[in-house]
Amino acid sequence: MELSPENPLMAEPQIETAHAEEFVEQLRCVTDTLPSRINIDAQSVEQGLAKLVLTLIEFIRRLLEKQAVRRMEGGDLSPEQIEELGLALMKLEAKLQELKTQFGLTDDDLNLDLGPIGRLI
Amino acid sequence: MKLYAYCLVEDLDAFDPTTRGISGAAVRSLQIDDLAVLVSDFNADTVAVTKENALDHAAVVRSVLDRTAPLPFRFGTLVTGQQLRSYISARKPALQTRFEHVRGCVEMSVKIIREISTDNETPRDDITSGTSFLEEKRLALLGSEQKAAEATEISTWLHEQVNGLIRDEQATVRSSEKLVLAAAHLVERDKIPQYKERLAAARKNRPELHFLFSGPWPPYSFANIELEFKTQFGVS
Repeated sequence: MELSPENPLMAEPQIETAHAEEFVEQLRCVTDTLPSRINIDAQSVEQGLAKLVLTLIEFIRRLLEKQAVRRMEGGDLSPEQIEELGLALMKLEAKLQELKTQFGLTDDDLNLDLGPIGRLI
Repeated sequence: MKLYAYCLVEDLDAFDPTTRGISGAAVRSLQIDDLAVLVSDFNADTVAVTKENALDHAAVVRSVLDRTAPLPFRFGTLVTGQQLRSYISARKPALQTRFEHVRGCVEMSVKIIREISTDNETPRDDITSGTSFLEEKRLALLGSEQKAAEATEISTWLHEQVNGLIRDEQATVRSSEKLVLAAAHLVERDKIPQYKERLAAARKNRPELHFLFSGPWPPYSFANIELEFKTQFGVS
């Protein structure tokens, strides 16, 4: 096909949807997770570090939970071991929640955008 | 003084000298070997991330889309002329391969939203034993695995719908979110009408999904030169 400024295919990009508001809301959520520049002042550095560390802890905590569930499903654990493991993970979750509150972070804050791979959590 | 780099182009016979870029700066074509880079002079060390600047960047890249398929730089790429020359010289075979890949094509975008149940995501307050805690987690895990399977199915389904009409695809699947799929398709210009017809028909078959189609765009998702550029020079 001949390329020319008159080519109607090269008109301004078109956006077509019957659910514009819903997409605006969702795309706003996605852009909110994009990395922003970090201001080097004491408070934001502390919160930035807390966010990074807690994200990694949350990631490991979820891995541990999955592993525990798999072992429970596989019949590897006695009822006492299940109870003990469950209690330990429950306490870990509560502690992490406490730390999140302390640093003013929400569940949505604890994630990392890994580019083409997707998000960590 | 640094240069703000918008995109790499080939086969650009003429460039409109009245084109304006970031902050209204004049844009010029910097010829390096048989390629050209659209640049403007830039006095500061960083580029403010504003809607106006993002739109200015996009407008410059788009200004050549009717004549060629540009390889856009990432927004905010500041370099020296020497860095650009070194980069192009060192990466020429890779850049030529990239140009061959996008030549004659534009990027079309498809985003899909699905309704997801959050029944299993609300933490219960009555969990006091370790066993019930793990049981709750087991149910949540089952739910997330189901969502992941559904997301993969949607991604595969979309690919099948446009198969044969696209040269390449970049799909981001977010199984736990409502915006479950964001796909970029590299489409040859003369196949765009067929591509649109195919998607319009496909949409009718999946009324439970909400679609957003957009384009044509410059092939942003298929350029990938900013990553190479960073690796090469540490440009931020």
